[in-house]
Amino acid sequence: MKDVLKRIVFGKREKYWWMNALVPLISILLAFIVGAIFIKITGRSPVVAYKLLFGASGLFPGPYWKSHFAEMLLSSSMYIATGLGFAIAAKGGLFNIGAEGHFIVGGIAAAYLGYAKPFAGLPKFIHLPLIIVGVMLAGGIWGAIAGYLKAKRGIHEVITTIMLNWIALYLIEAWLVIGPMGAAVETGISGTPYISLSAKLPKIFPPTRLNISIIIILAVTFLIWYLFYKTTFGYEIRTMGHTLIFGMEAPKAAGINVERRTIQTMFIAGAVAALGGAFMVLGVLFQYPPIFEGGYGFDGIAVALIGQNEPLGVILAGILIGALRTGATTVQLAHIPKTFPSIIEGFTVGFIALQALIRYWIMKFVQRKKKSIQIEMGGGAK
Amino acid sequence: MKALEVKGIVKQFPGVLANDSINLSINKGEIYAIVGENGAGKSTLMKIVYGLYTATSGEIFVFGKKVDIKTPHDAIGLKIGMVHQEFMLIPRFTVTQNIVLGDEPSKGIVFDYKKALSEVEELSKKFGLKVDPAERVANLPVGIQQRVEILKILRRGAEILIFDEPTAVLTPEETEDLFKTLMKLKKNGKTIIFISHKLKEVMAIADRIAVLRRGKLQGVVEKGKTSEVELARMVVGRDVVLKIPKAEAKVGGTVVSVRDLTVKSKRGIIGLKDVSFDVRAGEIVGIAGVEGNGQAELVNALIGFTRPVNGTITFDGEEIRLITPFNIRKKGMAYIPKDRKMRGLVLPFRSRENIIMGQHTLYPFSKNGVLNNIEIDKFATKKLEEFDVRPRDIYTRAGNLSGGNQQKLILAKEMSMEHKFLLASQPTRGLDIGAMEFVYHKLIEEKERGMAILLISLELSEIMGLSDRILVLYNGEIVGETTPDKTTEEELGLMMLGLKRQKRVAQ
Repeated sequence: MKDVLKRIVFGKREKYWWMNALVPLISILLAFIVGAIFIKITGRSPVVAYKLLFGASGLFPGPYWKSHFAEMLLSSSMYIATGLGFAIAAKGGLFNIGAEGHFIVGGIAAAYLGYAKPFAGLPKFIHLPLIIVGVMLAGGIWGAIAGYLKAKRGIHEVITTIMLNWIALYLIEAWLVIGPMGAAVETGISGTPYISLSAKLPKIFPPTRLNISIIIILAVTFLIWYLFYKTTFGYEIRTMGHTLIFGMEAPKAAGINVERRTIQTMFIAGAVAALGGAFMVLGVLFQYPPIFEGGYGFDGIAVALIGQNEPLGVILAGILIGALRTGATTVQLAHIPKTFPSIIEGFTVGFIALQALIRYWIMKFVQRKKKSIQIEMGGGAK
Repeated sequence: MKALEVKGIVKQFPGVLANDSINLSINKGEIYAIVGENGAGKSTLMKIVYGLYTATSGEIFVFGKKVDIKTPHDAIGLKIGMVHQEFMLIPRFTVTQNIVLGDEPSKGIVFDYKKALSEVEELSKKFGLKVDPAERVANLPVGIQQRVEILKILRRGAEILIFDEPTAVLTPEETEDLFKTLMKLKKNGKTIIFISHKLKEVMAIADRIAVLRRGKLQGVVEKGKTSEVELARMVVGRDVVLKIPKAEAKVGGTVVSVRDLTVKSKRGIIGLKDVSFDVRAGEIVGIAGVEGNGQAELVNALIGFTRPVNGTITFDGEEIRLITPFNIRKKGMAYIPKDRKMRGLVLPFRSRENIIMGQHTLYPFSKNGVLNNIEIDKFATKKLEEFDVRPRDIYTRAGNLSGGNQQKLILAKEMSMEHKFLLASQPTRGLDIGAMEFVYHKLIEEKERGMAILLISLELSEIMGLSDRILVLYNGEIVGETTPDKTTEEELGLMMLGLKRQKRVAQ
């Protein structure tokens, strides 16, 4: 069983396979320790704060656990979506800062397909899949633009994705939502009209708001894992991921169509991140509001980094960030601002960035352990 | 007096014993060479001495004192300096800035550039190593950059200088210069440790030579009492037949035909001018020439990395207008790149993943886009055996293989692919004798199987030994066409340097 799990998660025959999981765990732990020091310095109790934070995070049973748990998974599904958006591109050696843009493009596409006439009348089992496909197409195209510019024009994806984020934001908030897609004045709604009933994501855990978004994203994550590790397409993407950023040309020399794969990778990254926006609109807001509370895209980068760009890691990291955000409001009871979890998140990413050092520490520790065992055994033999 | 002694050095890497209780003792003021095949443990040993690795066990003595070297900083403190294969210079900085970097003369807290300039000038005069202290490093040729590296460590007071394969990046003339420099340093009483696998060079410069093989010390010989052949035997562990087995060419139809090919170099100037030639099935066409005379441009045009300015390339009777690596490989071209790490392999990938790169979309490795791991493993196991890649483990990451084994992995990958034409660009670059021999045999085998082979090499002996026809490139043009039995290495050498031209028979 352990062996099977090992194979699935870390690939075959990795000697220090547990290292890949231990590094993020240690980073998270260190971040919580540093966070505690911060709380202590400001004269509050870290124990109380963490108790409140985790008590309301949905990770552990407690009062109102059901609703916390539901809220946690609800936001986790969005973090996982944007986290995958970053991780997919990273696997192909691309640095995708565009998840924020893909997220809102997905959101606006979901809203439009949710309320617009020809679609709104359809039965749910047709309407909902149609919206999902539409959203993924819209986000995918938005991502593929950056991929195209990188592949054919050599413009770095960091620059184009950031610019596309702003383009998306202003197209939507300064034009679509108040213009062609805005609700009629008589209705008194600001933002787009509300989506039809057939467009809402079905709830799975009443009375909470938890809906099928978490199931959708888990399925998508599995598909992405399959794509990465079981298909020729994923193989090609991984060859690029190991070489592109170093300027190495082995995949290209081997006849892999690097340009086309770059565009396709960005398409998939955009499509998956856009799902997050659709979850927001179809499961939480039911319309596209005039001002969107964003940030999911950028948190997605943190999720991907903590999850080491591996599909399973992204799920776990997404749940962690979702839990932190869910518990955030409650830490105010300990007189700590609710943005405190962002500090934890920031420090975790910081420690992840130091992973070479953490790995080195662990290795040293392991080797010392081994040596002392050897000495003990040698002594016993004498 | 002993400058450096190592006693019983052992270095255990996961799965590999890189150094197996090595004892060396190096006198002050001598040039001491360490030779061995790729992966014999030469570099590892020197990295231990320089503090980049820590030995699993063993002792190091510097000038008679037992020392504990944990970091390069310790080593520098003990007057040990190392010139790495890849230079540690900042291209945008001037020579002076680079040399004083990390130990800058200052006026208060302000960097005193003038003083640094004069210091560097003095240093360069003292050791007779000419450099322009105010020039930017980026503008210097490789040989001079290396000189800057040497000055840098001399300024830190180095008495023991370690050179890790210093000639690998140099042209023959620059190598000459380096040897002059080494002699000057020796005259100044410096101790020099010279790591190499080129026996000719070692015989030319060293006083004593230590031979390593598979992590073990095979022996230490004095230059006067040995010969290149004996050294070769020690390095490889058996008699080496450096002569290349000749096989009669059974020439078939034309596979690749290049006409009036003109290609721009990376810097935007014309690097290859109106080159025309044919390669036929079952023959090896050798391209001789000094590096930088159009070889890179020719390769890039053939594999589709650069679009030619003019000219046509016909493959198997079909003119290909727009060559990309993707479509030319589909037509049946295999390519052994001169730079294994940049173009040959994905270093973090395992052997099994590397070996299918380029044919991964074909049956049985995949079907409908899904990889078949069982077939891949079977294939990889078979090929590692056939091409003698060590270790045989198909899960080894390519980056952990030695240079020779990386090259064998590339051969395994390229030669097992369906192809009609093999473009071999310096296939033995940086390889030791054993691996070279292996590559030669494989190329001959290919030829006997009726492949068309274009061999680009800087080694004349290789060109003379393997080719059925020889083309000489000079300054982007073909200045001669001949066959090995109608020419000599001397004549080829003259053509390569542009001193002799030969009329070509019109094709």
